[in-house]
Amino acid sequence: MSGEIDVLGSFADEEMCVHGIEALRAVKIQPTRVFSPIPSEHINHALGYGRSRVRALVLTGGITGILTGFTLTIGTSMEWSLNAGGKPIVSLPPFIIIAFELMILFGGLSAALGFFLNSGLPQTDRLPGYSEHFSSDRFGVLVRCAETDRERVEGILKQAGAETVVREAA
Amino acid sequence: MAAAAERISGPTYADIDRGVRRIMEAPGLAYWAWVGFCFTLVAIGAALWTRQIYVGLGVTGLRQGPMWAMYITDFVFWVGIAHSGTLISAILYLFRTRWRTAVYRVAETMTLFAVMTAGLFPLIHVGRPWYAYFLLPYPNERSLQPDFRSPLVWDAFAVSTYLTISATFLFMGLIPDVANARDAAKGWRKMLYSVLALGWQGTDTQWQHWSMAYLLMAGLATPLVLSVHSVVSWDFAMGQLPGWHSTIFAPYFVAGAIFSGVAMVLTLLIPMRRLLHFEDLVTEWHIDSLAKVVLLTSLIVSYSYGVESFMVWYGKDPIEMMTFHERYFGPHGWVFWVCIFCNCVAPLVLFSPRVRRNTVLLFIITIFVNIGMWFERFMIIAVSQENAFNPSQWRLYSPSITEIMITVGSFAWFLGLFSLFARFMPIISMTELKEGIRWLREAVRDDYYPGLK
Repeated sequence: MSGEIDVLGSFADEEMCVHGIEALRAVKIQPTRVFSPIPSEHINHALGYGRSRVRALVLTGGITGILTGFTLTIGTSMEWSLNAGGKPIVSLPPFIIIAFELMILFGGLSAALGFFLNSGLPQTDRLPGYSEHFSSDRFGVLVRCAETDRERVEGILKQAGAETVVREAA
Repeated sequence: MAAAAERISGPTYADIDRGVRRIMEAPGLAYWAWVGFCFTLVAIGAALWTRQIYVGLGVTGLRQGPMWAMYITDFVFWVGIAHSGTLISAILYLFRTRWRTAVYRVAETMTLFAVMTAGLFPLIHVGRPWYAYFLLPYPNERSLQPDFRSPLVWDAFAVSTYLTISATFLFMGLIPDVANARDAAKGWRKMLYSVLALGWQGTDTQWQHWSMAYLLMAGLATPLVLSVHSVVSWDFAMGQLPGWHSTIFAPYFVAGAIFSGVAMVLTLLIPMRRLLHFEDLVTEWHIDSLAKVVLLTSLIVSYSYGVESFMVWYGKDPIEMMTFHERYFGPHGWVFWVCIFCNCVAPLVLFSPRVRRNTVLLFIITIFVNIGMWFERFMIIAVSQENAFNPSQWRLYSPSITEIMITVGSFAWFLGLFSLFARFMPIISMTELKEGIRWLREAVRDDYYPGLK
């Protein structure tokens, strides 16, 4: 959209970064993106995020694993009905072990898949505002705003303790 | 102001990065000589395996009597070694144990390579590895399917799940650290790390989903680790052979696995922190904490030995009694006494804090534990079969040169892979050290990290 710019504030500290996000949200400005070298519940909370959708996917994966485990064991046992020492062909106690392992396998792989799908990985593009410092020792808050709001956003970020505030090409 | 003062006193994120990146600097000639030595032994092992495939399993001398011997011992030993990695990376993560952060990547990497090593042995043992897929169910015109009532099939599912989940869990944890390394690297390393980082840029949404996925994977890996070695123990306990048919096997094997695994972490960590100069990040305090886990699990293993023997004595089954008499005083009785010394007696000196913090003594004790735990597996697997029910199967087992060199090759394979990883990947998690920076600074002030003062 014409007339929009990206403003990027760089912070040396998680606490100040959280403070900056809260100050922006207090005046109804939602940061477009926050860069961080660590996972931070404080940043997520300040951004107003709820729980990740990965949870639902893991639950679905786990249940699918259990169902697959029982289907596989019961189905193949019925297909090849081998009498071993008079034990029942469909012996649920040992089949629980297979169902359990497949629950873990499907649940774990769903967690990884959920993470990749929800976070847009793998990606080859460098995101606007990203800098090498943000994987190391700096926190970044990127705000897309109208040119007319630039000074206000810059002021809020500086007041929150941003080391540098720069304009990025939107 | 107080907050500002706290912020600048103690290590910073940049200090942590510098410390870990230093480990990843270009290695010298001695390192390559060591890696070359390891892979030469691997090549010897591989050549003997090739010969075994070509000539047949007869080259090992394996026949009726102890048919499961050194290869299965190696399999159980390496699966056991793997377990402490998941204990440290997943279970202690859920408990938020603070000393874990600096050492968990070492343990987790060890897990992956140990499971990879373990996975080779069923393939080697079956003699004709191209038939290994028989263990897995697949559609076929004869409707032949594996028997899911057999513990060997449970094992195939448990170990392959464990390998997949361990590799995924390790990779997930590595992504942010590899991205960090990517941003500082040049040349081919930058290309390698760029591919492995998958374009990670540490955005709020990436972290939000990463944190949840990592937590849930830790939650899933926790019961998995306990199940896998329980399943391995049922390979034996579900059989009716005297010396195997014991209900204590699952907890006994799990405790033994953690015992041997943590000892192996120490065996790797003690020389590594000296040679790669990261004593400032992995301190005496970490070593001491790991040594306490070794001591605790040693006591559990000792208790299990006692209970196992007590149950035989209390059961008064003459064949079990004879098997155990042979185990203690038979021709291979020395194996039992090696286990008792290495696994029960030697670790008792770890009650002394001075020994736990003396890296030379501790290193020697961990070597004893590694030897003792290998022999424990050997005692359970091979020695028990020497006294099976059928007297026609009674035979003293002695390993062949093929089995010995393939075992040596497996150790070299594990150490070679681990050495490569340790030098080219972030072997200490920068992310987790930074995440706990406040606590790290407190720990530095309290002298837990003297090198970072």
